[in-house]
Amino acid sequence: MRFIPALLLTGAMLLSGAGSAGAQEVVESLRGGAPITETSRLDAMFRPEKDQDLIPRNFQKQPPLIPHSIKGYNITQNFNKCMDCHSRERAEETGATKVAKSHYLDREDKKLSNISPRRYFCMQCHVPQFDAKPLVENTYKPAAKKGE
Amino acid sequence: MMSLEKYMPAWVKRVGMVTVLLLFVAGIVFWGGFNWALEATNKEEFCISCHEMKENVFKEYQNTIHYTNRTGVRATCPDCHVPKEWGPKMVRKIQASNEVWHKLLGSVDTPEKFNAKRAQLAQNEWKRMKANDSKECRNCHRYDYMDYTEQGNRAAKQHPQAFTEGKTCIDCHKGIAHQLPAIDQHIGKQNEGAVEISHGEKPAENGKAEEKK
Amino acid sequence: MKLNRRDFIKANAAAAAMSVAGLSAPTGAVAAGKDDIRWDKAACRFCGTGCGVLVGTQDGRVVATQGDPDAPVNRGLNCIKGYFLSKIMYGGDRVKTPMLRMKNGKYDKTGEFTPISWKQAFDIMEAQARETMKKKGPNGLAMFGSGQWTVWEGYAAAKLMKAGFRTNNIDPNARHCMASAVAGFMRTFGIDEPAGCYDDIEHADAFVLWGSNMAEMHPILWTRITDRKLSSKHVKVAVLSTFEHRSYELADIPIIFTPQTDLAILNFICNYIIEKGKVNQDFVGKHVNFKKSVTDIGYGLRPTHALEKDATSNGYPGADGKPKGDTGKSEPITFDEFKKFVSEYTAEKVSKLSGVSVKDLNALAELYADPKIKVTSYWTMGFNQHTRGTWVNNMIYNVHLLVGKISEPGNSPFSLTGQPSACGTAREVGTFSHRLPADMVVTNPEHRKHTEELWGLPDGTIPDKPGLHAVAMARALKDGKVNFYWQQCNNNLQAGPNINEELYPGWRNPETFIVISDPYPTLSASYADLVLPTAMWVEKEGAYGNAERRTQFWRQQVKAPGEARSDLWQVMEFSKRFKVDEVWPAELLAKAPKLKGKTLYEVLYANGVADKYKVSEIAAGFDNDESKYFGFYVQKGLFEEYAQFGRGHGHDLAPFETYHQARGLRWPVVDGKETLWRFREGFDPYVKKGEGVAFYGHKDRKAVIFALPYQPPAESPDKEFDMWLCTGRVLEHWHTGTMTRRVPELYKSFPDAVVFMHPDDAKARGLQRGMECKVASRRGEIILRVETRGRNKPPRGLVFIPFFDAGRLANKLTLDATCPISKETDYKKCAVKVTRA
Repeated sequence: MRFIPALLLTGAMLLSGAGSAGAQEVVESLRGGAPITETSRLDAMFRPEKDQDLIPRNFQKQPPLIPHSIKGYNITQNFNKCMDCHSRERAEETGATKVAKSHYLDREDKKLSNISPRRYFCMQCHVPQFDAKPLVENTYKPAAKKGE
Repeated sequence: MMSLEKYMPAWVKRVGMVTVLLLFVAGIVFWGGFNWALEATNKEEFCISCHEMKENVFKEYQNTIHYTNRTGVRATCPDCHVPKEWGPKMVRKIQASNEVWHKLLGSVDTPEKFNAKRAQLAQNEWKRMKANDSKECRNCHRYDYMDYTEQGNRAAKQHPQAFTEGKTCIDCHKGIAHQLPAIDQHIGKQNEGAVEISHGEKPAENGKAEEKK
Repeated sequence: MKLNRRDFIKANAAAAAMSVAGLSAPTGAVAAGKDDIRWDKAACRFCGTGCGVLVGTQDGRVVATQGDPDAPVNRGLNCIKGYFLSKIMYGGDRVKTPMLRMKNGKYDKTGEFTPISWKQAFDIMEAQARETMKKKGPNGLAMFGSGQWTVWEGYAAAKLMKAGFRTNNIDPNARHCMASAVAGFMRTFGIDEPAGCYDDIEHADAFVLWGSNMAEMHPILWTRITDRKLSSKHVKVAVLSTFEHRSYELADIPIIFTPQTDLAILNFICNYIIEKGKVNQDFVGKHVNFKKSVTDIGYGLRPTHALEKDATSNGYPGADGKPKGDTGKSEPITFDEFKKFVSEYTAEKVSKLSGVSVKDLNALAELYADPKIKVTSYWTMGFNQHTRGTWVNNMIYNVHLLVGKISEPGNSPFSLTGQPSACGTAREVGTFSHRLPADMVVTNPEHRKHTEELWGLPDGTIPDKPGLHAVAMARALKDGKVNFYWQQCNNNLQAGPNINEELYPGWRNPETFIVISDPYPTLSASYADLVLPTAMWVEKEGAYGNAERRTQFWRQQVKAPGEARSDLWQVMEFSKRFKVDEVWPAELLAKAPKLKGKTLYEVLYANGVADKYKVSEIAAGFDNDESKYFGFYVQKGLFEEYAQFGRGHGHDLAPFETYHQARGLRWPVVDGKETLWRFREGFDPYVKKGEGVAFYGHKDRKAVIFALPYQPPAESPDKEFDMWLCTGRVLEHWHTGTMTRRVPELYKSFPDAVVFMHPDDAKARGLQRGMECKVASRRGEIILRVETRGRNKPPRGLVFIPFFDAGRLANKLTLDATCPISKETDYKKCAVKVTRA
């Protein structure tokens, strides 16, 4: 029941012509309806989203989200599970997206023959998604195509 | 009682009935004991009774799907590392005496020592599994039992392809229950001299060191 | 609405080309054609790393962000939070108008939130502030600010409270985050902030992380350490924490220690260095004093608490009403006395206490002892949020000073900051309840006098007693001593300790009036009385100062939605409501008759100094809503006034416009040159020729090594509450999740908080991964799911819970014990029990 109030709020805002100043009637936090004095119960448990094709990017330099489960995948000093499929050497066989060229540049933009170790821990920039519904709507819009 | 005597073979008559019975019982005891010992040493508790195992590989395994999972089926140490058939099992058990020896020597009694040997130990297991067509995996997982509609996109695509190419489980599923040794993955310089990992492209596992020979 | 990637790249090809062109343009900005994206530089909104970003705007909205390839901190990289900056301002529930609790058309604490105008908002604030001042005097007012305030926001707010209303009751949330680091710096060096800088990373042979999970909390610095470590085989990484986390993936020396025993480990290292004859005698002889501190200093709990009653030096009023000692008092000792003091911390004894093997302890100590190894130590909340936080900061300096490994490339004890401007605003500007700009303090008459002179105010304007610090402020609200509370740019009701017993009762105390300025309806806002809609990040011109003393600016890129206004505007506009004649005593005003009849706004901001610069100086093509409203270049005026404090005093800032050109500069900036390593000749202009090294923060230009003991924490597990609780952050979320949980991609990457625990601890309690469990302390309980796998792997006996999740308030469990010197809360240690829910 936690994010239903938030959805109601969003819905109400949409109905009342969202965005106009003063449309907001409540001040409800992401805690939802549970008063701070009570213990909020959990509702759903979230699971990794089902494998899918590429998740479209919002803007050019956004690191692609991971469109598949990474359950049990580790990145240790010894072995980078992600690169077992996504590396230049492996991508063709595995059908995975090949690691971008930018990952072969060092701090000074010098080209390296191997992947730059500054990019070693993939999940600092790339994250998978759980099947949770957003708590509130986000009104961000990607750049519009213009001049066409 | 006496009437039984005529049914006894001559050798029984020679050594005496009592002795035979004693031997028979002893046989059962030894056989039972042997099996008991075999069973006892084939349990997870036994495997992790030494801290070499408990502090290294068992800890890693606790973080994996073979430890806990959706249906609550667990593959314990021997399920993957000890063959089910009597013959291969005996061979593996005899090899294990070598491990007990190294346990006494303390060859891998710290995480550092264990990690230093990790590449060798891993390659031994990969070699064994490659040679027996990942037999222990197949006690549970068989190609022909797979329903691809139940698998994720990536698995459903890769499995039939790999099987057609004649690959075996261990070709791709290395390091699923334990952490891998240093693998050469063409990242920075950190994996120089590390083990080259095969995904079944080559006929057998070859460490870099071996290639140099 | 969504473009696919190919379309998007096509659409942006032109814009991308412009962005490259923009990089070489001196302002970093390109007024692109009408159809394209305008790119300009900014500092990331999140942590203290201070990454540079490029912000792309189109039609008055941010449409894209990326790591700034020219920013020296991050060279084009961002972490997952930074990459999604484009979306943080666009949560659908932005507060767009002031909201007041009302019943029957009037303010009522039990009323419902009702939209009102800014005029109405300031009317009620003014009435409440006046009534409070009448009843309680100026100290009935309090403001709680932030290390996420821009430099001028913090400066304007500190001025309003300390000089305008004449109360030192202003504190930043950085109190919860950096106060121990500050106290550590001031005691050891007499001057705040690190000697070194991030360039140490590319020079160090060894890194030691003390209570810092940089892999998640300072991801971009971690990319630099990873780069260094994986590119150079000899580089060693030691990681110390009370549980295993992602930073351990890079560790050569992974160490898990029993909570609080870091104190003993640090003394052991000193002992090791001395025993092995590795003390840098020359360095120590020339540059170091030794001191011994008082030790019976309590735990910063309420005076009635059992742990405080008998403490002899906690500074609380004793039976005679006089303070019981001084928590920070120390006296000189000799090297031999120090040697004797640490000699009891043997490897065997410390190993037993900490649970760390003798072998690991020795390996760790050797990194510091070996003169050939250049070692950089990093720490964050594991040290700072500690009931002996000041001590433990002093003690890491002890180690570096003993071997002289400081103030040179690669040898660096480096205190990381959590917030984007904990250094730039909270510390440098002096928004703490005891501080003034440029490391000055309210208790020093000369400092007050100097400040009053620069502010053009009569002698005696600034009160001489420290105001209420964060935890004291919460207690004062509950106790009814503070009745008017204004919180900006943070969410203390969720982030502060002991919500049930200390924070919430104060918030809803019928005597208190709670004002929250925030872009979003936070937990703090939802229990406030008045909520002010606030402009955020690039909706205003801003400046942040990161952990390596780098000051970075950005211009206003877009307009704030609805009626939202910046914190700066709110503070300045509110100050117009009061005349000095009404808030100052007559005898003070008599000293400055020319101020008579003036408003606080005129006295503090339109004072002939801060209003010197014209609106026309603002870069063409950029908005600056505050300046246009007030009629002068507000940010420039405030900055230049503030910069006078530091120039010539070791805190030199460059001229205002310089920062709009540069990718940040590290102070002191002298003759246009930034300073990378302080206290060392050749790097730091404040070190005299031939001096070599000078810790010029202290008059004798020496640093101090303190003899400090191990002492147990305020609360430890017992039979009933049998586990340690450690709280903290995760990579994907920033603090209380106000921004990041409104970005769908970030929310969906880590939706709810879980309790990380050892699988055997779970098993022993009948718990399994994914089950609901109840975590309870003496102060409260929460329900959340068990996680026995994943990024954090606690040892048996400890659980870790992140605090970002408003649904699962980790701070209902935490204890409001603080370091008695720095007053910073220990969020890392309290006792809990975990049961089936």
